[in-house]
Amino acid sequence: MFKTIRLKIIVLSLIMLAVLISAVACYVGVFRMKTKQLMLQNYAFSINSFVQQVDEKIIRAEDNSKDLALIGSLFYRTDRSIPLTNNAIIKIFENYENSLGGGIWFEPYAVYKDQKRVCFYAYRDKSGNIILDDDFSSEQYDYHNQSWYKEIISQIDKEHPTAWSLPYYENQGSKTTMITVGTGIYVGDKLIGISTVDWELDSVFQEISEMKPLENGFSFYETRDRIKGSFSLFASEKYNYIIVSDDPYLDNDALVGKTLDNIPWYRKDLYDITYFKYHGKLYTPFVKYTNNDMLLIICVPKTEMYKDINKFTLHMLLFLIMAGILIPIAVYAILNKYIINPINKLTEIAKKIGNGEDVEIKIEKPEEFAQLASTFNKMTDNIKTFTKDQAKILSELNIAKQIQESSLPNKFPPFPDRKEFEIFASMEPAKEVGGDFYDFYFIDENKDNFIFLIADVAGKGIPSALFMMTAKTLIKSLAKVGYPPKELAKKINHKICANNKHGFFITMFSGIINLKTGKAYVINCGHNKPLIRHQSGSYEYMELDNNLPLGVFDDYEFNIHEFNLEKGDIIFTYTDGITEAMNNDGDLYGEQRLLETLNYAKTCENSQEIVSLIKNDIKIYTNSATQSDDITMLCFKYLGENSVKVYNEVAKKENYKSFCNWLHSNLKEWEISKDLFNDIDMCSEEIFANISFYAYPEKQGMITVSIDKKDDEIIMVFEDSGIKYNPLEKPDPDITLPPQERPLGGLGIFMVKKITKNVYYERKEDKNILTLVFDCK
Amino acid sequence: MEISLTRTDLFTLCVKAVGRLDLDSAVEYGQAITDAMYDSDEEIRELMLDFSEITFISSYGLKVILELYKKLKENGGSLKIKNVSEEIRKSFNLVGFNKFLVLE
Repeated sequence: MFKTIRLKIIVLSLIMLAVLISAVACYVGVFRMKTKQLMLQNYAFSINSFVQQVDEKIIRAEDNSKDLALIGSLFYRTDRSIPLTNNAIIKIFENYENSLGGGIWFEPYAVYKDQKRVCFYAYRDKSGNIILDDDFSSEQYDYHNQSWYKEIISQIDKEHPTAWSLPYYENQGSKTTMITVGTGIYVGDKLIGISTVDWELDSVFQEISEMKPLENGFSFYETRDRIKGSFSLFASEKYNYIIVSDDPYLDNDALVGKTLDNIPWYRKDLYDITYFKYHGKLYTPFVKYTNNDMLLIICVPKTEMYKDINKFTLHMLLFLIMAGILIPIAVYAILNKYIINPINKLTEIAKKIGNGEDVEIKIEKPEEFAQLASTFNKMTDNIKTFTKDQAKILSELNIAKQIQESSLPNKFPPFPDRKEFEIFASMEPAKEVGGDFYDFYFIDENKDNFIFLIADVAGKGIPSALFMMTAKTLIKSLAKVGYPPKELAKKINHKICANNKHGFFITMFSGIINLKTGKAYVINCGHNKPLIRHQSGSYEYMELDNNLPLGVFDDYEFNIHEFNLEKGDIIFTYTDGITEAMNNDGDLYGEQRLLETLNYAKTCENSQEIVSLIKNDIKIYTNSATQSDDITMLCFKYLGENSVKVYNEVAKKENYKSFCNWLHSNLKEWEISKDLFNDIDMCSEEIFANISFYAYPEKQGMITVSIDKKDDEIIMVFEDSGIKYNPLEKPDPDITLPPQERPLGGLGIFMVKKITKNVYYERKEDKNILTLVFDCK
Repeated sequence: MEISLTRTDLFTLCVKAVGRLDLDSAVEYGQAITDAMYDSDEEIRELMLDFSEITFISSYGLKVILELYKKLKENGGSLKIKNVSEEIRKSFNLVGFNKFLVLE
């Protein structure tokens, strides 16, 4: 799947990176969650501590009212000294610096039976002095009927003597939002009055509204670094009363004293929820109750609260993305520089070396590749040396091949002056030196007996080639001794067996031909069947006894065939390179195709053309397939002794004697009958005389006479360049006439016509050509 | 050509030649005989040709024979040929000389 190292490493590094990034992302996620929890806890803790402070103040206020109640109780039980009591009240207020004012209020007619209202009241003025004020005992005010008084009375009993009133806006005195804490004054189980302490809520409000969450919790009175958009609510659930709110979306001043329904986001279960949605933003509510059941809610926008952690997360994410992009690029770059580029360089140079270029690799870094490069260079050097050796061997092989080829007779026609036969041979060697060879030469001094042979040494290569050379020389030296054919075969076999330690053997076909008589001795030693074509016939395979190849058994008795070659007979021999030539489908050329191809051109009389024809047909058959074996052919054609004899002299009577001598010597060689001899003698004299006397009336000219014996005929042709004359047109003499009346001339031509089997005249190229045919039978 | 002429009697000339009667020798042969015939004081009446040593006769030889025959006939003489080989006899037959020539 991933084929290249580069791809593999990149994919691997990407996977590792992905694992790393997800690990970091997980860690960041967990860290983020934990941080959020911590922050929440931190906020909650800050609010708690704030509420605790408020609670402390509340307790102080309650203590204040309890102290006052004690004073009231003392006043009631003792001598009811007003100045002493006033003094005590002032002292108490000096201790409770947060209290705005307060007093002791007795129930109607509880102190004196004739006095309905008895009360003490003191307040703190703007400069902090404590002022006693007895205006509240007036009839008009009638404190018993004031709401705060009733509220407190209604809430307390002996067990729970302290209670808080609703906050209320004091529009007469201090003009601030007030809240009153009261404690019942009991004598035994009887309530005789209450003490009250007025508490100005504005300062608490101030603190609350200034208490804004910071990034690491809450801070009071600090204006810096507040979290934007946070707001708070201070209210009493018990009285369903809004004390203070700084909701940015509401008219907060108008809300004071209103019910909690006016806060759109408020709900009873805020304590239990993590977020609520308000004006499209998520807020986290921190809810806390004070000791006197007042409710403090601080809402912090989630986005703001987690701004830092979000920022951190974002940075982390960006960092991871950057790492995700940069690391693969870096890996790729490093990979390219230190691994891929050197590999590519190596590949390129290896290619060049493969193409035979002389290149040295230079890589210095990284070390592994430097090492590889030097190994490579060493290898190249070795290859160079090896190739040089190889080339030397190859060239030596080529020389061997050339020597082998040139050792075969390759000049054609080899004996241009010999007309009795025609021979052509060819060897097309395969790539390797092979063991095919052919040879031919005269084996006697008179050059009457001619031997030709074609052979194939088993195997290929130098050993076969060397063996072939030895065998060839050996056969030649033995053939020239003049042994009878059968003995010659035996001697050759014996010598080859003796010189054969490596088990070579040779298949061979050979023929010894007497060129005068056409007598042929042929032998086939395990070789391919030769073909023979008799004059104007078809080619056919010669069915001969097949002997063992040469070099197999010493003392082997060879069978030799003896027959007569007729003029025009052709023997075609070849090696198995022909019949076993393969086409691209692996099919063999075969004997059948060879026979058919030869017969296709059976009228072809030229041995060289016959060999070329087969060579071409093999080329067509094998197409482009490699030649696996030597392709060797030898074609011998017997023409018989050179029978055409030519006489060429000046045409004159004086030359008749020399003509006669020429003619007689030729006729004697053919061993013809006396009669025929006589006939030819007579006819040729007549024509010779005719030409001598009449052909050239004005100047001397030549006469050319040829005589040839073909089968059962002797053909004589007379040629001259003289005046046109056809002697055959001369009328025959009447041989029945009495001798006295017979003319003296005209007898000769008449005799010629009578004697010859056929006679005819041609005028060709200004020549008189007279052909005489005699029957030899 | 080797020709020997012998008068065996007053009227008879006997001729013996060795070799071929052909273009080369026929004329010489004929001339020798004619000369001998006319040189003599006595007329030759009979010509006896001995062909025992004649190996070959060509048309020129035949022509000479016919000429001699004709000359003798004009003078009432006769021509005889003896010791004719088979081949020469065949040649005579071929041209119809056998009809008038006396072959002994």
